[in-house]
Amino acid sequence: MEDLIHVDRAMSTQQDIKISAKGVQVFYGDNHAIKDVNVDIDDKTVTAFIGPSGCGKSTFLRCINRMNDTIDICRVEGDIRLDNEDIYDAKVDPVQLRAKVGMVFQKPNPFPKSIYDNVAYGPKIHGLARNKADLDEIVEKSLRKAALWNEAKDRLNAPGTGLSGGQQQRLCIARAIATAPEVLLMDEPCSALDPIATAQVEELIDELRQSFSVVIVTHSMQQAARVSQKTAFFHLGNLVEYDDTDKIFTNPQDSRTESYISGRIG
Amino acid sequence: MTTSLLVADARTKKRNAAEKRFQAYGLSAIVVAMLALLVLLISVLFNGLSSFQQTFITMDIALAEDRVDKQGNRDPAEMAKTTTIGYNSLLRDALIATLESEGLTTDLSNKDIANMISKESSATVRNRVLANPDLVGQTVTFDVLASGRIDGFFKGDVTLESAALDQNTSPEALMLAQELADRGVMETKFNWNFFVWPDASVQRPEAAGLGVAILGSLYMMIVVLVLALPIGVASSIYLEEFAPKNRITDIIEVNISNLAAVPSIVYGILGLAIFINFMEFNQSSPLVGGLVLTLMTLPTIIISTRAALKSVPPSIRDAALGVGASKMQSVFHHVLPLAAPGILTGTIIGLAQALGETAPLLLIGMVAFVREYPAAYTPEAGLFGEASTALPVQVFNWTQRSDPAFVERASGAIITLLVFLLIMNAVAIYLRRRFERRW
Repeated sequence: MEDLIHVDRAMSTQQDIKISAKGVQVFYGDNHAIKDVNVDIDDKTVTAFIGPSGCGKSTFLRCINRMNDTIDICRVEGDIRLDNEDIYDAKVDPVQLRAKVGMVFQKPNPFPKSIYDNVAYGPKIHGLARNKADLDEIVEKSLRKAALWNEAKDRLNAPGTGLSGGQQQRLCIARAIATAPEVLLMDEPCSALDPIATAQVEELIDELRQSFSVVIVTHSMQQAARVSQKTAFFHLGNLVEYDDTDKIFTNPQDSRTESYISGRIG
Repeated sequence: MTTSLLVADARTKKRNAAEKRFQAYGLSAIVVAMLALLVLLISVLFNGLSSFQQTFITMDIALAEDRVDKQGNRDPAEMAKTTTIGYNSLLRDALIATLESEGLTTDLSNKDIANMISKESSATVRNRVLANPDLVGQTVTFDVLASGRIDGFFKGDVTLESAALDQNTSPEALMLAQELADRGVMETKFNWNFFVWPDASVQRPEAAGLGVAILGSLYMMIVVLVLALPIGVASSIYLEEFAPKNRITDIIEVNISNLAAVPSIVYGILGLAIFINFMEFNQSSPLVGGLVLTLMTLPTIIISTRAALKSVPPSIRDAALGVGASKMQSVFHHVLPLAAPGILTGTIIGLAQALGETAPLLLIGMVAFVREYPAAYTPEAGLFGEASTALPVQVFNWTQRSDPAFVERASGAIITLLVFLLIMNAVAIYLRRRFERRW
């Protein structure tokens, strides 16, 4: 059944541009956090957002699955389209959107439930499994994709919070991909992890690219260079430069980008 | 110039001394608090433990037909014409007969001998006979209550000196009682009936019990739990998770905090005006008491529930929303289970507070003298509509009575109330441990 979903999606997402943002402005009360950002995010690609703290990269990421809706004082203007559909249209239910656009957070945040229940929660509330066998299959596939199956298969009923930090983050990734999203947003997924766990997650991101469009916010330029095909540099709420990762790191067009990647600002 | 680390400088000495002083203050505060608690507990236990025991006289009572069933037809309606006064003499004669068979002689008049038996006993025997007319004509062994003074003598509250000044008893009666006790006719033993019997009049403290009060308190707690928990939790969830943060919710929030600080007697006035005068519920009923206590408990439950909801880390909400749960799913599947221990603790503490509350109940008439066990439901009075008292009010009532025997009973009621509170708090702690999860 999962395969069916994947096939369906593969057919419906032939176009290259997955997400298209035009003239996006974000305000936190009086604070103008994102200023007129235009960006097109390709399908089956890892796109990295880099920039100094407070530059708005996480804020912009959270606009893509409307997580900013939960903040009362936050106001989003402009046009963000997923598969050419306006996600801020009044008819769009953010709950449906978030099933399509999964998210992994900075700090691993598994539910205080068993590993199995963590992964099964999304499919359950979206009705993706008709019976227990279906659900078992989805859980196994998601854990395999998140490279956690071998470590977790014997302790599926153990609490997810009992895993190590890196395992927890991979569990969160498994949870996010269990709902068969089309886009995976990752907000500094490795900032709380040690180098070994980071390497595992990065490897995972590269594999996830086969099935998803991945957008990753990171503070580590090396990480951006390692995992992404395209990179966007944010500075003070502006999108300064957006191009192929190779070009950004070898031949930046903007002096601010150059200063940042060479460590002079940030 | 270098200073040695081995010698503390003046500044360090001052700082360390300040820290020592602060610790000493803290320790002495705790010691004072513990001492106060200890004194309280000891005095209550010392005064009250004896109320769980009662002195009984074991004697054979000849239920002669000519005295309890003058018509001789065993018809309870006819037998009821023999009042407790008739049974008084029956019991007195039985005691005199017991004295004779034990070989005891006394100068006491018959009236004084009758006074050694509780006035309640004749009613007890009469009820037994009316319930079972076949007993008539037989000689049945009864455990009847001794009078309050005799009981007080065995508990050390009444002495020969105090009895000499007492109109209700005499040193001779006490000494006779001692003889009877030596022969095993009188015995002071554990008295379950203290928790079962209803209140009794001022003249018979030995028969007073907590039955009606416990029942009334239980009914009120049911009303409070059924109303305050859902309303309190629902309003906290709405305020904390769904309500927009604006001026109106700010005002509501401030007012809930204010309500928690309103003196409880004000809720009593409110209950009197609204539930009794306007809505015309029965006064003295556990329903009205429960409603008033619900109003009083709600702010406590709302405040603790909101604190419990606030303490759930926002990352859990993000996680749930991130996989596409709706707001309500994220609250009910994830936030609420994590907040449950805090909510339960708050609720049980609120209930415990309500259980010990006296002032508002005085205003709605629960201070009445009630001998009838209130039914949970009757067609006339409705649900929890029959007059009742409550545990703290019973304490209040008994401390006002002139007979010193009620002092021990009031303390006994306090112990009972404290035990209920302890049980509830223990349950709260157990539930918190049981459901507490780390994240």
